Amino acid sequence: MFPDILANMAHIHLGEGSFPLWALALWTAFGVGLVGLVVYRIRKGGIKTHHIALAGIGAAASFAVFQLNLPVWGGIHMNLTGLVGILTGPLLGTLIALVVNVFSAALGHGAVGLLGANTLVNATEAIAAYYVFKTLLSMDWDVFPASAGAATIGLSLGAVLMGGIIVISGVNGSALPRGDLAFAVAGLVGLNLGVAVIEGILTGFVVQFLVSVRPDLIEMVDRRATEDEPAGVSA
Amino acid sequence: MERWKQYSGLAAVFAVAVAAGLWGFRATGGSLPWAKRSARALQRGIEEGGGSLIDLGRGIIIAGPIRKGGMVLEFAALVVLLVAVGIGLYIYAERYQDTEDETA
Repeated sequence: MFPDILANMAHIHLGEGSFPLWALALWTAFGVGLVGLVVYRIRKGGIKTHHIALAGIGAAASFAVFQLNLPVWGGIHMNLTGLVGILTGPLLGTLIALVVNVFSAALGHGAVGLLGANTLVNATEAIAAYYVFKTLLSMDWDVFPASAGAATIGLSLGAVLMGGIIVISGVNGSALPRGDLAFAVAGLVGLNLGVAVIEGILTGFVVQFLVSVRPDLIEMVDRRATEDEPAGVSA
Repeated sequence: MERWKQYSGLAAVFAVAVAAGLWGFRATGGSLPWAKRSARALQRGIEEGGGSLIDLGRGIIIAGPIRKGGMVLEFAALVVLLVAVGIGLYIYAERYQDTEDETA
């Protein structure tokens, strides 16, 4: 049986012991490797002061919204990891994913043994959202469609990774053959894609609002605005 | 890029995601809370089901493990702490940036 198995909005909530030990070790190793790489890059490159502030606020918002179950699609929660990735970048976005998962697991929302896997999933969302947003801006997209699309794509990739992790690991106590398990998990992933649209639209509105009041907070947009400004040379 | 092209691209992404979401919703039991949905899906595989996509009567609730574990107060305290740290960092960043600007 599965006493507390739920996986929504690309976040695996399996009870302790639901994954085989080798899988726990594997995903934890990947998670540690990713966080190690991020910390190394941050130590080497430093962090801008306003990014630290955004990271604090982003972590608070993401953690709070993680715990709120909305009555849509049967009952889901959002992550805001796409928004966090766009606002703080891939490095701090990964650390925020770790922090939010640690706090959530401490409250029983997600297994401690799955911190590595869940950090990988949520960090993927933040990293992918950041790079898709950057790419779309470079293609001269407006802020709303770029951020909404980037968050939706980032969250979708996270959902696919979540499904992949479950299928590769297998679930202790499930009698389903791997093919049937993959199909069942695909259904869960599919539903997460639908939820990603809601979070994508929300992200689009938030980023659009921030750009209208504090464009300097979002570096990519600010840089583009600066580049677009006339040189100011007059005859 | 022209605006209609941007929004067409966005609409295409949304259409694919919503179609996948609707399939996933029905294929994994329909209008079920996540705990039941995923437990059923992982134990018994795909099971068709229906029901409403939105159930406003249920309202927004705190995640089961926190609510059932009697840790709502701890959750609230953590949120307040994180919000306070976030606002504190924001104020710090604002002042630090002002000082930097003055020095420059």
